[in-house]
Amino acid sequence: MTRLQHPLQLLGMVLLLLAAWGASALVQVRVDRELAPERETPETLWITSGTTVRALSLGHQALLADIYWTRAVQYYGSRLRDRKTDFSLLAPLLDITVTLDPQLVVAYYWGSMFLSEKIPRGAGEPQKGIELLRRGIAANPDQWRLWHHLGFLYYWELQDYEQAAKAYQEGARNPDARDWMRVMAAAITEKGGNRETSLFLWSQIYQSTEDPTVRANAARHIDGLTAEGDIAELERLAQQFREQTGRSPASIAELVSQGLLAGIPADPAGFPYRLQPDGTVGLDTASTVELDYDRAPAPPAPAAR
Amino acid sequence: MIASQILAIARNTFREAVRDRVLYNLVAFAVIMIATALLFGEISIGIQKTILINIGLSSISIFGLLIAIFLGIGLVYKEMDKRSLYPLLSKPIRRWQFVVGKFLGLNLTLLVNTVLMSLGLWAALYYLTRSFQPEDVHIWTAIYFILLQLCLVTAVCLFFSCFTTPILAAIFTFLIYVVGSFAADVRDFGRLTENSALESLMSLIYYLLPNFSDFSVAGAVSHGRAVGGYLIVLNTAYALSYSSLLLIAAVWIFSRRDLK
Repeated sequence: MTRLQHPLQLLGMVLLLLAAWGASALVQVRVDRELAPERETPETLWITSGTTVRALSLGHQALLADIYWTRAVQYYGSRLRDRKTDFSLLAPLLDITVTLDPQLVVAYYWGSMFLSEKIPRGAGEPQKGIELLRRGIAANPDQWRLWHHLGFLYYWELQDYEQAAKAYQEGARNPDARDWMRVMAAAITEKGGNRETSLFLWSQIYQSTEDPTVRANAARHIDGLTAEGDIAELERLAQQFREQTGRSPASIAELVSQGLLAGIPADPAGFPYRLQPDGTVGLDTASTVELDYDRAPAPPAPAAR
Repeated sequence: MIASQILAIARNTFREAVRDRVLYNLVAFAVIMIATALLFGEISIGIQKTILINIGLSSISIFGLLIAIFLGIGLVYKEMDKRSLYPLLSKPIRRWQFVVGKFLGLNLTLLVNTVLMSLGLWAALYYLTRSFQPEDVHIWTAIYFILLQLCLVTAVCLFFSCFTTPILAAIFTFLIYVVGSFAADVRDFGRLTENSALESLMSLIYYLLPNFSDFSVAGAVSHGRAVGGYLIVLNTAYALSYSSLLLIAAVWIFSRRDLK
């Protein structure tokens, strides 16, 4: 009898616990609903000074730096996801992160990119990105890739080719720097901004990251630049067609039948290019490639985790 | 003879800690390590290994600190409260041997606990990276510094437990730990005042307080950077000399206590 009672008592206890847990969860759902409007207010940063956070860390500043970096990534990702254009907390979060741990190189790499990317893909503050990178270089002189990122920001975001070439030159002095740093310095000095240089730089970003968000961003830029190159070449061939036949081609297929092309080319997303009535070449309406990716709307799905 | 008596007290202190289920904290540590290894790579960028090392080292330090304080405060008081101290001291054991034995016993507990947690950290690191890098060896330096720090905390705690109640000893030790973590700021504050008397006073306080801030090298080792050999020697010498100071003070106070 006692043996029978014992499992029953146990079952009763489990049910009681489950009921209490269910009740508390239900109440929590209500509380969440009640507080939802207040939680939508802008996020705040209670302590804005990295030095203060460092002092309060009681020796755990490296861990706090990781937490602040994660917070910066989450903040950036959530702004993108919610299509918000106010990134005002990004710079202070990054400042605290690198004050707590000046050797956290990833925070300089990607933090500067988050700050510099044009709205709506970033804070649109390349100068702050450059400041962050210069801090990173001062704290980590052995990290030649920081010079690469600095040169890239000057090149891509500010179109300041003189400063960009200088940054690549400085970085190339590091004994560990890759040879192409010197090549980039020379190419930018000679030609300024051109598609080949841009493609090379984005390819370096693509190859040097293991992060899927940054890699996807670089891939989209590479696709856009590749498509721009293809379009320029197709428009050159259309011009050649006009010179040969005395009329404009009606479609890209006509360029193929004229022997100017081996087949109908497709953009990096796999969609064929279209010859438009005005004689210019464009992308298929269904294509996911964006020619001016920086100014395109933010992606529908969360871009950063 | 003297050494064997001290070691016997130390062994007993260790056994008592194990009986008190102190090592159960390892379960919590394991959960933290597994959660970190699985979770942080998904919500951050580029710091999966760094954060695992930092969380691991901070957890070892915090768990160690809690154990040092909560066991340390009862080291002497509990023996007096339970009156188990009297039969012990009736044997040919000196009071200083009792204090030193207790100190070593608690440090042995912390050493075993830290070694087990460190093995957990290394296991999590292997799970995450599937290989060890030569620079990972510097993690041991950070773990060694945590042990030195815990040795200091134990000495502070033992010192207070010789003349006050466990609750007050816990509060005092924690406050000393907090203030000791701000030691450099205390000195800098004096310099900022530009008042020579105040600067001297602050410097005196700076050298009087145990300095806990110099033992924190997690940031460097998590980026694969080595810690200088000279700093290792200096930190070891500092922890040993300051702990000795507190231990001598604790022995002196405990020797003068009226235990009737």
